[in-house]
Amino acid sequence: MSTEGRILGIGPTDNTSDQRTPRERLRLIPAAARESFVPVVPARFRASPHEWDMTRTAPDRPRAQGVPIEVTGTVRTQSGAPVRHALLEVWSANHFGRYRHIEDQSGLELDDNHLGMGRVFTDADGAYRFWAISPGAYLARPDIGRWRPKHIHLSVSGGASRLITQMYFPDEPNNAADPMAILMGDAFSRNVGKPRDVGGADVEEAYDFDIVVGGRNATFFE
Amino acid sequence: MSPDAKNALPATNEDTCGPYFPIYFREPALEDLTRVDAGVVGQASGTPIVLRGRVLDRHGDLAHGAILELWQANAKGVYRTPAHGDDADIDPWFDGFGRLRTASGAYEFRTIMPGAAAGRAPNITVTIFSDGISRIVTQLFFEGQGANATDPVLLAVGDDAPRLIARHDGRTANGAEVYLFDIVMAGDGETPFFDDLES
Ligand SMILES: [Fe+2]
Repeated sequence: MSTEGRILGIGPTDNTSDQRTPRERLRLIPAAARESFVPVVPARFRASPHEWDMTRTAPDRPRAQGVPIEVTGTVRTQSGAPVRHALLEVWSANHFGRYRHIEDQSGLELDDNHLGMGRVFTDADGAYRFWAISPGAYLARPDIGRWRPKHIHLSVSGGASRLITQMYFPDEPNNAADPMAILMGDAFSRNVGKPRDVGGADVEEAYDFDIVVGGRNATFFE
Repeated sequence: MSPDAKNALPATNEDTCGPYFPIYFREPALEDLTRVDAGVVGQASGTPIVLRGRVLDRHGDLAHGAILELWQANAKGVYRTPAHGDDADIDPWFDGFGRLRTASGAYEFRTIMPGAAAGRAPNITVTIFSDGISRIVTQLFFEGQGANATDPVLLAVGDDAPRLIARHDGRTANGAEVYLFDIVMAGDGETPFFDDLES
């Protein structure tokens, strides 16, 4: 435990980060108030049974364009305890780098067989699995030619564990210049999926992505 | 085991949610904390309030696409946590957790006035996710509460305490008193944010 709060980093070449990153040093939480800063997400989540397979919009629809992948892993706290029955909200761009989101005005191609949003739950051991289309990279700053590397957004909500993160892909040329990757420094490798054998799954690539929810909140009630 | 332990697993980095958090994941029941689910008999105890405001960036522009999460005690000042699972003062119809995504940067929750926990003034913890940043956290208080004068969080921020106090608007919305709370993410009038990793 340190005696000073962090100063948050601003993502280089990221205008939104410049506009929205607090400039003041974060304040330390007084011990008497610490527990009040531990939100506990109620376990009242919903998902349709087919949402784990984001390579299709529905079980009776054909596969979306691009490379179908499987992502598996566990969600744990830093003490190693599994985060059981947690909600994972997953969202990603299609093969062409376009989100099926009303605010994505990029003009990139949409794919009628791709939704790019799904929810899955961790099991009693904290394990999860989903299928997705390997997302396209997209040009985030046309003026300077900076791309956002391929990534899958993940939001974890389970008890006192709360994390929003992204899974990146190994050896992508755009990883090094990504503002958020730059802020992570050497720790960026933790956010990169590890390729593994596909096994018997009906996909072309497979990745392991073990998630560890950091900070005191996640272990507060352990 | 605490995460400070030497053999703690290295944490996955937090990252921005980007601009396209799916509206598809919205859950209306998390935007009105006084109700459990549409059509279900059961209502949170306490005084309903409306919490309304804007999320602003460094230039005073609305921070569109931000996600806000609320966390608060029930009307008796008790949080629904594993530490209070058997507490007789748990309200079965109140989780104390809210979430919404604001497309424009303006937001509105319906909830109840939180009770005061021992040694505290009534407060709501607010978690903010948005494009350009990872998770940031603050705690808001309510104008006119005597306990504000001795609350440890307000004392800790000193002269910046007024920036954490929601104004009583004087208007009502569907019978609920309206409180106004703007969040300034950066720059002039910046809202004090707290470090729950280092403290
Ligand atoms: Fe993205």
